[in-house]
Amino acid sequence: MSDFVFTRRDFLKLVGIGAAGAAAGCAKPPADKLIPYLVAPEDILPGVPYWYASTCRECSAGCGLLVKAREGRVVKLEGNPKHPVSRGGLCARGQAGLQSAYDPDRVRTPMVKQGGAWRPIEWEDALKLASSRIAAAKGGQKLALVTANSTGSFHKLASDFASAAGGTHLVYEPFAHESLREANRRTFGQATIPTYDFAQANVVFTFGADFLETWLSPVEHARDFAAMRARPDTHVVSIEPRLSLTGVNADEWVAVRPGGEMALALGFAHVILGENLGPALGERGALLDAVSAFTPEAVEKDTDVPADQVREMARHFARGRPSLAVAGGIATQSEQSVALLAAVNLLNYVAGNVGRTVRFDRTLNYDAVASFADVQRLIQSMGSGAVQVLLVHAANPVYATPAWAGFAAAMDKVSFKISLSSVLDETADRCDLILPSTHGLESLGDAEASRGVHALIQPGMQKLPMIDARPEGDTLLTLAQSAGLGAGFAGDWTGYVKAQWKSLHGRLGAGRDFDTFWSDALQHGGVWEDAPATAVRWNGTPAFAAPQLKGGGDVALVLYASPSFYDGRGANKPWLQELPDPTTKAVWGTWAEIHPATASRLGVKTGDALKVETDAGSVEVPAYVTGGVRQDVVAIPLGQGHTAYGRYAKDRGVQALALLSPAQDGASGAVAYLSAKARLSRGTKALSLSITQPEKSQRDREIGQIIPVAALLGGAAAATNGGSHGEPTTIGAGAGGAGEETAHGARFERSAAKKGTTTSPMVEPEGYRPPPHSVSAYEPKPEERGRGPRAIPVSEGSYRNGQHRWAMSIDLNSCTGCAACVVACYAENNIPTVGPEMVKRGRELAWIRIDRFEEKLEPGRHDVRNVPMMCQHCSDAPCEIVCPVYATYHNPEGLNAQIYNRCVGTRYCSNNCPYKVRAFNWFDYSAPEKATFAFPEPLNWQLNPDVTVRSKGVMEKCTMCVQRILEGKGNAKDEKRAVKDGEIQTACAQSCPTQAITFGDLLDPDSDVHKKSFGERRYWVLEELNTRPGVTYLKRVRRENA
Amino acid sequence: MKRALALVIIGSTLAAATVAFTQSFSVQLGANKGPRQPINFSHQIHAGKLGMNCLYCHYGAEKSAIANLPPVSTCMGCHKIAVTDRPEIQKLTAYYDRGEQIPWVEVYRLPDYVKFNHKRHVLAGFACQNCHGPVQQMAVVYEYPPLKMGWCVSCHRQNLTNPDHPATMDCVVCHH
Repeated sequence: MSDFVFTRRDFLKLVGIGAAGAAAGCAKPPADKLIPYLVAPEDILPGVPYWYASTCRECSAGCGLLVKAREGRVVKLEGNPKHPVSRGGLCARGQAGLQSAYDPDRVRTPMVKQGGAWRPIEWEDALKLASSRIAAAKGGQKLALVTANSTGSFHKLASDFASAAGGTHLVYEPFAHESLREANRRTFGQATIPTYDFAQANVVFTFGADFLETWLSPVEHARDFAAMRARPDTHVVSIEPRLSLTGVNADEWVAVRPGGEMALALGFAHVILGENLGPALGERGALLDAVSAFTPEAVEKDTDVPADQVREMARHFARGRPSLAVAGGIATQSEQSVALLAAVNLLNYVAGNVGRTVRFDRTLNYDAVASFADVQRLIQSMGSGAVQVLLVHAANPVYATPAWAGFAAAMDKVSFKISLSSVLDETADRCDLILPSTHGLESLGDAEASRGVHALIQPGMQKLPMIDARPEGDTLLTLAQSAGLGAGFAGDWTGYVKAQWKSLHGRLGAGRDFDTFWSDALQHGGVWEDAPATAVRWNGTPAFAAPQLKGGGDVALVLYASPSFYDGRGANKPWLQELPDPTTKAVWGTWAEIHPATASRLGVKTGDALKVETDAGSVEVPAYVTGGVRQDVVAIPLGQGHTAYGRYAKDRGVQALALLSPAQDGASGAVAYLSAKARLSRGTKALSLSITQPEKSQRDREIGQIIPVAALLGGAAAATNGGSHGEPTTIGAGAGGAGEETAHGARFERSAAKKGTTTSPMVEPEGYRPPPHSVSAYEPKPEERGRGPRAIPVSEGSYRNGQHRWAMSIDLNSCTGCAACVVACYAENNIPTVGPEMVKRGRELAWIRIDRFEEKLEPGRHDVRNVPMMCQHCSDAPCEIVCPVYATYHNPEGLNAQIYNRCVGTRYCSNNCPYKVRAFNWFDYSAPEKATFAFPEPLNWQLNPDVTVRSKGVMEKCTMCVQRILEGKGNAKDEKRAVKDGEIQTACAQSCPTQAITFGDLLDPDSDVHKKSFGERRYWVLEELNTRPGVTYLKRVRRENA
Repeated sequence: MKRALALVIIGSTLAAATVAFTQSFSVQLGANKGPRQPINFSHQIHAGKLGMNCLYCHYGAEKSAIANLPPVSTCMGCHKIAVTDRPEIQKLTAYYDRGEQIPWVEVYRLPDYVKFNHKRHVLAGFACQNCHGPVQQMAVVYEYPPLKMGWCVSCHRQNLTNPDHPATMDCVVCHH
């Protein structure tokens, strides 16, 4: 009898039991091990961050760093507010320097090349091999040591090492500014780089110097620039064939013919001298003779700038004293770059700026940096076989020298090449032996990047355990000892650095013993001494000649330094690769910028392949069509096209230096980046360009707003201030102009009331009632309070006790669009990079972006607006009401919070967000086993332990750095006091070189953010939607008076 | 026949579930409910019988979000001289002499998306036992609370109107 029937119900029961078992099995993850310290380091506590002062080495500016370490690992770099150069800001490149310490492609052990392949080798064997080769190459210029600009003890060690070995030491920087130094030597008798004081200047003319991007000391310039822009009567003119980010921040763009900058500068000088607008000068007659050929009419012919405009601009420049003219960007480095820079020096001199805005005091330390002529001498002696041993540290000349120079081929003739690099870049890859160096965050060093600024590079952590590297100083000392280079190389690197600082101690010790002096210097990031200015007079007028571009073709090839990659060294950092270019908003590649007229002639549009051909070669790159270049120009950024240098850099974009034919400045030897003509044609390759913001029009939505300076000051004020410069007036709610601001604010309110309008964003429309859950600066009435998610009574507990309304103000008059905030946010909030394919689908995860709106992009008074855009933390947030699971909600302190573990990924919130600031995790960027994993070891060691690393399927967005808010509130609680204004800073606000972003508590009427948010220039983006954001923007000031 | 087949299926499913359940703890269970530790350390003796303050070893609990495990040197501070004849102490000394950290097995684990701050709770005057249970009676430490969100929230809800240290119901304070 078989009465048992296996029914569907039975089956379901069985399945249920099985599922229950499986679920029980999943209840607990396997237990981890907890490893305590064996002996706890003094004062270090797990969970508490420690800060070390240090110095950035991503470029030669040497900004001050504060290095944040958690549990012995550096997790973030911030600017040191006490540092005399950077004063608290830090640029995108500087912050991304962190990723080179955790680069997954770092060289992990010493390696030797055998049969064309790299093999690991023990340190002892590697050092023995290297020192025997060095010993054999002693004397007779058979050894060459190439380093980057390191200025401090390491520079001394390297020089001593090379001279003890009878060889040469070459300090290689691709952007060596040798023309600037040479021009200053010829005209002022000082072969140095002076301080350019943007803060003092009333009128600034930049002849292609991208001083907010890569030129000299961008963070310092940005800070000074913002100080200048806080005054109403300042005027900035950008004179360049391609509108750079610096040009975007100018009031006016003079699209000069490529190579015409010098004639224009001399034309200005001619007018100033001829009309006697400058100070009395003994050399006036001689100088006027020197520029006699450059009458405004003659200049018009060379530059396409009308003679009347030349006269007007010159008068304006002279009137604005102190004014400032700068030149020397990579894009203008031609065969006559010394002539251009001398012309600009002349202009500054005749306008009376030298000694005021151009000062030879805290000169930038490029003293030891080789000119390209020196590099060529090395290439020649390597090519002839004279050099037998080559050592390279931190420089990548194989990549960064133009192909015509033949560095790589000459290097191959050297019989033994040793790299001290920490990553396999193009140069290291051509070597025979690698002795990997530690990163600047792992080892001690020092630098004197500018005169009088003796900075220490303090390690923020022990070296990474999986990377068997040694400090380069130790490696050189060991090699010198075992190669028998003399007695000067005893001891270890730390001792060597300290020995150098003993002499500083003698001078600056101020009676303290050395240990106190040393630890004080470590604590502050170094010691600073005053650098008295050297007075200079006009020393001699060089010959002025305009550059001629060579080769067949109808457009000029303009190569410019990438703001993200500098000379190419930034290309191996994923944060920088995914950082949208400030002009094109393109990522992970190279493009060519062409004018719409050129594009329609060729029949290409943005993203299509464009073939750029010169006499030296050709490349195919995606075109980017923009009004920001002249019709006779094609502009390509440098820094990409690596053939090595790790997974993030390799095979991205093109190396545009390959388009150059041999061309150098005759006087300084500098590479002439602006020297070739190019032919353009439609390309044949299937290329694509990933652009985060393809649409650059704001379509009348007034997202980025401007206010004419006259409207700001009022008609009468503008009339009295119109002709004079240098009034101590400031615009905007700053610390200095607070009182005035209130007055302006009051006037604004009155005028709005008079007209009977409600245009002011902070004025509620008649009959408007905030929804019950809103928490804002306006205290809702008791009856307006409702019930929040899951019936938690919002009138109770923390909602009732909400003490703060966290808010932010963004001053568009200060913001330069440099995107330092974007990288800061990536670093602070563990944001994964997603790669070019995902960016093309709009899936980048950035929490803050810089929107670029091109209202009017043509020569003259252009209007391009940069608007940092992140979650606006709306009081009436459209995202909150559509979330079906309450994953996004409003917190008692006004934050729009996003709870990852609650989110089920409906993406309704993102659909409903008018600002489009929410990012969805389409893939698992946090799971090591997935191909999409964004943090391959040791990159994951950088992750901020205070922030969740999001998993697949959840929405994420700006939290206003809630972890920093909680830390700040905790600190205040510990000290039993209220939170101080300015104590809590979001990552973006902290990093901002111009302090355009202010964060604080809107409920505190004395807070900086309160003053700014209720100031005269305030507005809300898309305020007509009544979202009532927590982020208030301050309008950019438009200066009409010229 | 069918009944036998069904029994086999039921039996094997249950067996698989049991195996899955026990395997999920990838550690052997100790004498009590907690996992077996590399050294048979007893909180009952230290915190209970000897009456040592929790913060003597876990000194980070009032200064940091993380309540630290004591460094091995802290153990050795006493056990260089105290009861050196016990086998477990000799294990400890051996670790210390070898310069090896002790691989303690984690008892309390929060998911990555939960940020708990020990310092805030200790400074608000909550006894460690409020969450960790009667540790002073535990020979082997085990996970005392359910360690689920509802358990956290129930306490926070009770303390919403605590005059000195009002608790928060704000999700983002723990989930960020």
